[in-house]
Amino acid sequence: MDTGKILAGFLAPHPPHLVYGENPPQNEPRSKGGWEPLRWAYERARENLEKYKPDVLLVHSPHWVTQQGHHFLGVQNLCGKSVDPIFPNLFRYSFELNVDVELAEACCEEASAAGLTAKMMRNPEFRVDYGTITTLHMIRPQWDIPIVGISANNSPYYLGTREGLEEMDILGSATRRAVENTGRRAVLLASNTLCHYHFSEEPAVPEDMSQEHPHDYEGYLWDMRVIELLRRGRTNEVFELLPQFIDEAFAEVKSGAFTWMFSAMGYPNIPGELHGYGTVIGTGNAVMEWDMSAAALA
Amino acid sequence: MALETLSWSGTCRLQRWHEIDMSVVSAFLVPGSPLPRIQGGNPPWDAMAKALSAAGDVLASTDPDSIVVYSTQWIAVLDQLWQTREQVAGRHVDENWHEFGVLEYDMAIDVELATACIEESSSIGVKSKAVNYDGFPIDTGTIVADSFLNRIRKPVVVTSNNVYHDMAVTESIGQLVAKSAREQRKDIAVVAVGGLSGAFFRQEIIPEDDRIFSEAYDSANRKMLDLICSGNCQKAMAFVPEYNEQASPEMGFKHFGFVSGALGHKYSKAEVHHYGPLYGSGGAVIEFQV
Repeated sequence: MDTGKILAGFLAPHPPHLVYGENPPQNEPRSKGGWEPLRWAYERARENLEKYKPDVLLVHSPHWVTQQGHHFLGVQNLCGKSVDPIFPNLFRYSFELNVDVELAEACCEEASAAGLTAKMMRNPEFRVDYGTITTLHMIRPQWDIPIVGISANNSPYYLGTREGLEEMDILGSATRRAVENTGRRAVLLASNTLCHYHFSEEPAVPEDMSQEHPHDYEGYLWDMRVIELLRRGRTNEVFELLPQFIDEAFAEVKSGAFTWMFSAMGYPNIPGELHGYGTVIGTGNAVMEWDMSAAALA
Repeated sequence: MALETLSWSGTCRLQRWHEIDMSVVSAFLVPGSPLPRIQGGNPPWDAMAKALSAAGDVLASTDPDSIVVYSTQWIAVLDQLWQTREQVAGRHVDENWHEFGVLEYDMAIDVELATACIEESSSIGVKSKAVNYDGFPIDTGTIVADSFLNRIRKPVVVTSNNVYHDMAVTESIGQLVAKSAREQRKDIAVVAVGGLSGAFFRQEIIPEDDRIFSEAYDSANRKMLDLICSGNCQKAMAFVPEYNEQASPEMGFKHFGFVSGALGHKYSKAEVHHYGPLYGSGGAVIEFQV
């Protein structure tokens, strides 16, 4: 068996509005579109994902919250209907997915070995969260690549940002070892928004884009600053700024997916490709890609 | 319930409304952890399960027309959400305690009362929205509370915890529910679902070893419970900011605000049926005597 490797990482945010705007057959509500720049960004990301031909997609979602440890989906086939508790008017999605249980178990074991509390989710009736589903649908709507779903332990919220993100760093390293040891060709998906301040009311027509704009100027400036650094490959600077970004922009990267992904990739100082940026009810969302093979780091 | 169809018991109820202007016939604050339901055989959580069952007996004895459930675990960020599907039923797997199986639920919703609350909420400056969707994920706290306290299968009103609503807004929503029930000539039981001190064990523990996370949290919880039990609602509410600092209770202890608001900030006293740990966090089954 060849040593596995991480081929790429994507910042792949999960506003359910993007699925709603696309009108896939799995989603009950119908729209007249909306959030096109972000959806087109995902179209470009889909094309690039195709060229990697990965064995597996690993996604870390902030909307599967587990207080006791980091959990991994551990049932080979999961299906059901996922209704977003926040936006049930937009997202009622019938999902069916295949889990790479062997890799999930390896990730869980490596996380435990590294001192983290980790657990497999073995309940076949488990309802997969909308964050996981939205990110996976937007990056690969064919649902033909096995996945590993990872919960958010939310340690940065419980322990504090720096201490919590250190745990996510450990989880990322453990994930990389699991990928390598199982010989997988893996793509990582960090399901995170950037600036996370949002409007408190929804427009009468949710996809009315005349109502869509950044929640506040400061948050927009933060997003542009971080994206520009990432585009230039100045990863180290981004991680130095991350706690301040999180505090001042209420950035959702606090939930840990972004740190988990970069830790697994070894914090490469390589330019990220921005596929697009847009706001959803005021929050800042960027679809970005880091091609590890192109950087000759994989 | 129309006035002309009032039965003897209904007439008595009408008299009571005139006398004390109350629609709330019983009120409770209970924890939303699923452990007493799905692991109720374990020593630290069996006492909580028994207390929840006892609270269910008390609730049943007050014979409400409907039960109003406010759960801190139904998180909303846009608007105040109210369940308006006539019947919600299903099987729920807790996102954290999935290894302990499935929670089944089957609730009839008091759509009439929920709709009235939605329509009237603009009067308190709150925008409300109805939730009527097949497959909508009912939260663990609501399911657990319903399973223990609603064994008499009364219709329920289920409403959300908007994380951007502060204590004052939450109190006013509680008041709104009581007022709407009064206008519909309904007796209601109010069940606020949420915990006490919020610190919990992040690693696996042996259930028998469960305890409140620290003595400081335990002390703060006991002080809060003493104040609640004294019957001086204003004094208990006044302590909440300090309690939040000392114990980081779930959602700023807004669940107490909801039940206080529904009771018009008046109750004669309260009884703690049980207080104990739920994986380090604090939980109590409190009965308010109205």
